[in-house]
Amino acid sequence: MDAPVIRLDAVTRRFGDFTAVSAAEATLSPGEIHAIVGENGAGKSTLLKLAAGVLAPSAGRVLVGDDALSPATPAEAIRRGVGMVHQHFMLVAAFTALENLMLGAEPVRSWGRLDLASAREKAQAIADRTGLQVPLDAVTETLSVGERQRLEILRVLYRGARAILLDEPTAVLSPLEADELYTTLRALADDGATIAVVTHRLDEVARFADRVTVMRRGKVVLARPYARAGAGEIRGGDLTRAIMGGEPPLPFARPAMAKDAAIVLEIKGLSLTDAGGQRRLRAVDLTVRQGEIVGIAGIEGNGQSELVRALAGLEPGATGRVAVGDRDLSRLSVRARRASLGVVLEDRHEEGLCQEATVGDNLVLGDLGDRRDGAPAFDEAAAITRRMQRFDIHPADPARLAGELSGGNQQKIVIARALDRLPRGPRSAAVLAQPTRGVDVGAAAAIHAAIGEAAASGIAVVIISADLAELRKLAHRIVVMRRGEIVQSLSPEATETEIGRAMLGQEAA
Amino acid sequence: MSSIFSLTMVAETLRIAVPYACAAVAGVWAERSGIIQIGLEGILLTSAFVSVAVAVASGSAVLGLVAGVAAGAAFSLFHAVLVERARIDAVVSGIALNLLAFAGTRMSLRGLFGSASNSPSIEAFRFGPTGSRGVDLLARVLLDPVTILAVLATAATPFLLARTRLGLRTRAAGENPAAAAMSGVNVPRVRYTALLISGAICALGGVHLAFDQHRFESGMSNGRGFIALAAVVVSGWRAERAVLACLAFGALEALQIVLQDQANRSAGADLIQLLPYVATLLVLGFAAGRAAAPRGLGKHAD
Repeated sequence: MDAPVIRLDAVTRRFGDFTAVSAAEATLSPGEIHAIVGENGAGKSTLLKLAAGVLAPSAGRVLVGDDALSPATPAEAIRRGVGMVHQHFMLVAAFTALENLMLGAEPVRSWGRLDLASAREKAQAIADRTGLQVPLDAVTETLSVGERQRLEILRVLYRGARAILLDEPTAVLSPLEADELYTTLRALADDGATIAVVTHRLDEVARFADRVTVMRRGKVVLARPYARAGAGEIRGGDLTRAIMGGEPPLPFARPAMAKDAAIVLEIKGLSLTDAGGQRRLRAVDLTVRQGEIVGIAGIEGNGQSELVRALAGLEPGATGRVAVGDRDLSRLSVRARRASLGVVLEDRHEEGLCQEATVGDNLVLGDLGDRRDGAPAFDEAAAITRRMQRFDIHPADPARLAGELSGGNQQKIVIARALDRLPRGPRSAAVLAQPTRGVDVGAAAAIHAAIGEAAASGIAVVIISADLAELRKLAHRIVVMRRGEIVQSLSPEATETEIGRAMLGQEAA
Repeated sequence: MSSIFSLTMVAETLRIAVPYACAAVAGVWAERSGIIQIGLEGILLTSAFVSVAVAVASGSAVLGLVAGVAAGAAFSLFHAVLVERARIDAVVSGIALNLLAFAGTRMSLRGLFGSASNSPSIEAFRFGPTGSRGVDLLARVLLDPVTILAVLATAATPFLLARTRLGLRTRAAGENPAAAAMSGVNVPRVRYTALLISGAICALGGVHLAFDQHRFESGMSNGRGFIALAAVVVSGWRAERAVLACLAFGALEALQIVLQDQANRSAGADLIQLLPYVATLLVLGFAAGRAAAPRGLGKHAD
């Protein structure tokens, strides 16, 4: 089957009063890698879901080949050769890879018995052709993120898709895995497949995309071939301007730091064993000096999340010493730690915000009632106003529900709450997990500026991020975590490849 | 003490374990598909009643069996529709259906047979020798058609769940309904099918209960549905292990009967009656927290 051309013809999608995509036009053609970029909430994912039949358009048409996609369901889309790989993998964790692969398209023998042998044969043939190797008999939850993603793509191909639409496929991958993914996608495109990728990372567009569509506030604002040079084609700077609808933000300037600055945050022998007996943290040692920004890199699931939770005091089973300034925190409650340690957990939806509460309430969550003798009463209204202004939260209305804000502004609330409370100077530290994950360029720049300002005021800062470019930009020093241990310390001048190798545990070649 | 390790003991264990095992396997089917099912007790009771009522009316044990199984399947499907379509909380629906079964069977008992406690006797299946101990009893237990059907259903379940398309889709619906739906699986339909099977198997237990006593007695399920549910949890939602747990429970209850016979209602008799329940509590206590429930249990596809 030839890969279909997918055309979105004046497609609009509304959710209640909110128009996520408005009269969008796009053409996804065979043989190309098509990047769709834009800020959070610009409608990129919605556009992709419309093309894949996951959502039905409120107005306009989605054409696959010459005919409209009707009914607009994933099943019909896959029948027409269009498959989607979701941002949050749609896999059954307890199934083997092979079971996930065949689910919904199972070959059967008599009596509805599964024909595992023929499924395996077909999967292996596709894997051999495309290089998408996945251990088929492994239980899916034991697979690495990269393997799970290959499994998702393999599954789409298994169903005969010739158009593959991927929603932020590289958000969870290490740089090496991301490069591998694009190599695979390029091979598929060269083989005549239609490939579309939603991404936040502009460097990926520059390196891999043949064509780019930029969305802003639900509208397609730019759609052109991307080329490294040449007239009528998009280049990097234009892209940023199109995405933001204005000038790009000022570049980040890393604050200077004295070589002999005092140690502020001291972690010694921090260990954690989870309920299942797995060792999550193995004697982590880390010191951060006054005004220093330390970045922690590592493949997801190597103890970073547990480290943040243990520092915040959320893991009562953790052993070892945590001190800020000369104050030993290791025996203190979550609440007592907050006076000198600001923490941002990685999942803002689950752990950072009350979506159903107002912006104002979220901004002072946990601050009310914190009165020490002699201290002036906490001025709630003033704190809300100050935090909204300092962190440039839009819309500046404390009565709005936090869940109504864009991801970038939600993240600003979380960061504001963690940083604004801390006393300036060498008695405070901040630990920020994924400070700009899933956040658009403008908000990311604002958050980076706030982090720089905090460090400049003397706060010791630890940043955990899957985005190596972010770490290299912000940090004075990058340490790499693997299997619950800090295995290497690198300068921010190290290349992404060097850092990536350390994350994977490969010796520098 | 020799009677503890006798053929009588084996036969009693099997006879007693059948309703528990059927309800437990039914619980596995329902909950592996993602629907919380605490209504097993009500299905046992309803199917027991319907089978006796039809057997009395028609004079045919076979018709009674068929009607009991149909009633159990329908009752179970009703639960699934309440949960999937009307989006009623499965625990609430389960409690409601249990109460409905208790009250409904009592009311019908009065209406149909003019009794608050039990129905008239029926002529259930009678195959094999008539003796009440040893090899006679064992032969009769093993030749009972309801027991044979229950054994077949129990034996087929692990295979069906592991190796067939229906089983794969059932497990997918129970583990991650959203992913199953994205893969083109019609999650509500899969769950309806699983609950039909579940209800039919549970009903075998109810029919066995009634036919074993040759009549229906008010509230005769006597908590068996809940103990079966405990077996499901202890087994980690695996049919073969749940059945083993039920056999162990049946053995304890049989032991209690045999010991009670010997103790001749001495002071220890009441304590001996507690044996199976204390054992359940202990096992649940040790198993709690270890077994992993299906991760999509109680979740909807959208």
